[in-house]
Amino acid sequence: MFRNQSLEDCPLDEDEDAFQTLGEEDEDINQFNDDTFGAGAIDDDWQEAHERLAELEDKPATARELEDGAVSDEMELLGHHEENLAERLSKLVIENELEDPAIMQAVQTQPPMQQSGGLNSSIWDGSAVLRRFRGPLLTQILCPKPVHIRAPMQQRYPSPYGERMSPNQLCNVSNSSLLGHPFPPSVTPVFTHLQRAQLLGGAQAGRMSPSQFARVSGLVGSPLTSMNPKLLQGRVGQMMAPASGFRAFFGAPPPPAPPSSQQQHPPCPGSHLQNLRPHPQMFRPDTTHLHPQHRRLLHQRQQQNRNQHRSLNGSAGDRAGHRSSHQEQLRKDPYANLMLQREKDWVSKIQMMQLQSTDPYLDDFYYQNYFQKLEKVSAAEEMHGDGPKKERTKLITPQVAKLEHAYKPVQFEGSLGKLTVSSVNNPRKMIDAVVTSRSEDDETKEKQVRDKRRQTLVTIEKTYSLLLDVEDYERRYLLSLEGERPALMEERKQKICDMYDNLRGKTPGQERPSDDHFVQIMCIRKGKRMVARILPFLSTEQAADILMATARNLPFLIKKDAQDEVLLCLLRPFSLVLYHLPLGTVTSLLQQLANLPQSATVPAPANLHLTAVLQNKFGLSLLYLVLSRGEELQNSSAAMELMQDNQWTELMSMATRELLRIPEAALAKPVSTPSNLLSLFSRYVDQQKLNVLETKLQLVQGIR
Amino acid sequence: QCFIFSITVNANLTSLPEKHLVLLRDGRTLIGYLRSIDQFANLVLHQTVERIHVGKKYGDIPRGIFVVRGENVVLLGEIDLEKESDTPLQQVSIEEILEEQRVEQQAKQESEKLKVQALKERGLSIPRADTLDEY
Repeated sequence: MFRNQSLEDCPLDEDEDAFQTLGEEDEDINQFNDDTFGAGAIDDDWQEAHERLAELEDKPATARELEDGAVSDEMELLGHHEENLAERLSKLVIENELEDPAIMQAVQTQPPMQQSGGLNSSIWDGSAVLRRFRGPLLTQILCPKPVHIRAPMQQRYPSPYGERMSPNQLCNVSNSSLLGHPFPPSVTPVFTHLQRAQLLGGAQAGRMSPSQFARVSGLVGSPLTSMNPKLLQGRVGQMMAPASGFRAFFGAPPPPAPPSSQQQHPPCPGSHLQNLRPHPQMFRPDTTHLHPQHRRLLHQRQQQNRNQHRSLNGSAGDRAGHRSSHQEQLRKDPYANLMLQREKDWVSKIQMMQLQSTDPYLDDFYYQNYFQKLEKVSAAEEMHGDGPKKERTKLITPQVAKLEHAYKPVQFEGSLGKLTVSSVNNPRKMIDAVVTSRSEDDETKEKQVRDKRRQTLVTIEKTYSLLLDVEDYERRYLLSLEGERPALMEERKQKICDMYDNLRGKTPGQERPSDDHFVQIMCIRKGKRMVARILPFLSTEQAADILMATARNLPFLIKKDAQDEVLLCLLRPFSLVLYHLPLGTVTSLLQQLANLPQSATVPAPANLHLTAVLQNKFGLSLLYLVLSRGEELQNSSAAMELMQDNQWTELMSMATRELLRIPEAALAKPVSTPSNLLSLFSRYVDQQKLNVLETKLQLVQGIR
Repeated sequence: QCFIFSITVNANLTSLPEKHLVLLRDGRTLIGYLRSIDQFANLVLHQTVERIHVGKKYGDIPRGIFVVRGENVVLLGEIDLEKESDTPLQQVSIEEILEEQRVEQQAKQESEKLKVQALKERGLSIPRADTLDEY
């Protein structure tokens, strides 16, 4: 280059000349600056130069142009795209397209892959079709000057498919042409998964959005081939010299999954590649994808408007009415119908695509549950034989079979190895976060406590996940095949065991010596709720164990629950468990609950445990439940277990004594007072004391 | 998910233009004629009016043409033109409604402060609402 030459000419060793040469350099530098950035750089005849360039490097040049435009949001640069598009197209018009070597080659490579099919073969009658496409397309695009002049909206989105083919037809074509294995091995490595996804995503939506359409054509330089991805494939294959290949990849903008809001895009193209089923849902008439209620509303309104206009104009025919209403509408509101029906359909189709889901329970849990509840309610109403059946139709969203597709990272032609680009499908570790464990000495008491609490929280979270899984098994069971069911049951059992172990704190092999783990869990609100949900799944022994642990530590738990007041949620599951327990367990439960000593000989000075229990709503309610259950059992049992009976009796007398001692004011208000308590107490105390108890515990409520 | 704008997309074609109400994430309510929509729920609203509600009063600020980025839209709905006039709300001038809004904001901030104080005393702290959509 010029600059280098001059520098070499004046070596800096020679000091005398040094300043002189530097001065010279300065001038040269100014000159160079000018040439590069200033006045000298502007070549007035850029258009000619551009054309020359365009002829030399037909497609790569356009890709380079597009590179700048394609980086930003596609919708915003629609204007620029169109500008480029128009220019490019004007250059690309070749009188006789059959002489375009790229097209010819493309057409030639395609036939071996073709399947029989009416529409397919019509596309592949190469020239005829191309001519058909070109005609209307070019006249529409070539004529208008690009966007800065405010063209009427209709022209902005020229019909890309030509008048003869409807968008629906095209989609059928592109879909069916993709069946089987569309890409010949020579071409496959060229088109990355990303670009394929983009193209197919575009074709998928029934039509390419105007900007996608421009972007894709940037790759190839012809909007025609962009409409049929396969043709595109062929052309791309032909022109992909290693150098230009690089440029062409830049032509397609990087976002790996086009609009990130469309989570379905990656799976969809894949699915359509391999999914041989056609998707009729995509091509329904425009209102079918509306929610039924909305559709009805819309039609109603249309009817109304039609009637209105008809009355306004007094014209008989529907058609005439429409036309004049159309005109009137334009007169009233010149901005109406800014969006063409086609565009609206396009957006709707994308929305429908977004609703496709392989596992609706996973993707849209709340919606599914909400509608199930509604259905149950309406079904219940119907059962009662009330009014006419309400039409409760659901919007049917297409269900797509889930298909696995391996993520293939972006590859550049002619380069070694793969780029490590991280994306939604391919997350990469960005930061190396090293976990450093603190030494024992450093830990202060508070830190230990905090760590312990954290441990507990982690345990709760893990157990909760297990719980959610277990609760879900019923649904999975119904959906699964016969053969899978035993395995499912096993899994479920295992998970239940794990949950229980988590709750009680697994100690390797031995007895569970302490309730500590459990108590820690129970101190946390979420833990309590979780235990309430787990209880139904546990076996009777396990559940009884939990109950005992709770009873044993109840005062502590009560104290901790002061702010949360969540203990009450445990009442229901506890009562359910109680119904399954034998008298012996109930007895020991009572003992724990009231903290009564084993024998009646030692008079306890003051039973703080029991006091605390009685002063708490949950505690008192639980006590009542236990007592009531004990009474039931005792009534029913045929006096077989004498030992337990005696124990129960002893305990009862002790309990009653305690109850008598406690001042009334301190008692809590229980959730419910079982009716058999009075008869229970009547066995152990005399009438006077019974009356005291009665009033104290308010056992008589209103009606006796 | 996106059932809401499937009607409006098709409703664009009826002869009488429908007014739409858009709720944005920052709490603003915009009312205007929906002219264009895309798959991201980017909206083009025409003759838009920003409506500020305080209690039973509301005030309209004319804004012209709005282009809303889809991610900021919470919901979008059609306004029934007949029912529109049928409202118990009272329209007031812009100055008045702005003043009311300011007063309301102040009251809210004070109660928020008290709340944070109370939580602090219990050892709980709720993250600042900067990153959350709160209004």
